[in-house]
Amino acid sequence: MAKIVASMALSHAPGLSGWLDSVTPQQQAQIAAGFTELRRRFEAAKPDLIIGVANDHMLNMPMKNPPDFCIGTARQWIGPAEFFREWLKMDEYRVGGRPDVAATIERRALGEGVTMMHADTLLFDDNWSVPLHYLTPGHDVPLVPINMNCINAPIPGPERSYRAGQSIVRAIREDLPADLRVAFIGTGGLSHEPGGERYFDVDETFDRWFLDLLGTGDVERILAEATVERMEAAGGGGTAELMAWLVAMAGANDKHADTVFYVPAVEMRCGIGAVTWDFDGKPPA
Amino acid sequence: MPFDPDLPSNHLIYAIRARRDLYENFPAKLKAAAAEYGLSDEEVQAWRDVNVRRLGELGVHPYFLPQITRIMKGAANNNSRSAAAQAYKRSMIDGQ
Repeated sequence: MAKIVASMALSHAPGLSGWLDSVTPQQQAQIAAGFTELRRRFEAAKPDLIIGVANDHMLNMPMKNPPDFCIGTARQWIGPAEFFREWLKMDEYRVGGRPDVAATIERRALGEGVTMMHADTLLFDDNWSVPLHYLTPGHDVPLVPINMNCINAPIPGPERSYRAGQSIVRAIREDLPADLRVAFIGTGGLSHEPGGERYFDVDETFDRWFLDLLGTGDVERILAEATVERMEAAGGGGTAELMAWLVAMAGANDKHADTVFYVPAVEMRCGIGAVTWDFDGKPPA
Repeated sequence: MPFDPDLPSNHLIYAIRARRDLYENFPAKLKAAAAEYGLSDEEVQAWRDVNVRRLGELGVHPYFLPQITRIMKGAANNNSRSAAAQAYKRSMIDGQ
């Protein structure tokens, strides 16, 4: 019975590494302070493994009939893929994987009706590279990446996302070794519209509504209101990455999310923020 | 037109991100890549013009459209003043 010691969700916008100096100095400071606090909470939890969920960006999953999830089974990951390095202004990094953990999660998920494929090669773009850059800049905590179909319709809605999260959490708590300390994270969002007419916009009203909604801790209401349609209305083809946050929410004991920070960074073309669950200021036992 | 996963341009953009032999200096390789992936003349012209609005109308997935601007105009420092973002703006927002 492994333990989830950190539950969190955060943005992974490419501008966070690629053109951070283009946002206002005030926003740069807010973003830096926000990620510093998020990393402090992450490190306080002393995780020895990250199990993460993030949009695949139609990079690895098939374009036709993709499953909801694709779990990475490699012993080591190399990122970002070369194509994305200049964009992300990021050099190559390597981070360990856990094929045994991935196989266990996949087995549980498939047995419980979650559509999940696996792959031992995954191209990493901003989805993993940006979160790892801020949470574990030394890349010294292994990662089991679970890529998610958030933009190739039909995509999993809130109920299906959360149920998948519950299945992953059962695998963590019931099937993985007892001494394993897991950080269960979701990445993506907040509002953005890559590929649409609102490419240069951020929907601050939606973003603050969504963060407040997560703060209620009312799972039934969250799943009823944080719909694909509501997310698409706030930014098509991107905002629905927040479904990964609902997957991660399944790992929280107390569902009241604490917003660590939020910045409506228009120059990033994305609302930037992060939440944690269960963090009480002390390292988990 | 909605996303058409059979559209040759979608196959090209899907593949190109793992093909250094293609994405480096891609504009000079557009003709050869178009032949390899079977792009129509209309697709090729839209790529050449960085006409992402038209490519979207032809069935390219919206997520791929900004990537096309970066492939054609460069990916570095992709803020709103970058050549790639400005090309996107001209086509998608300004309708030029």
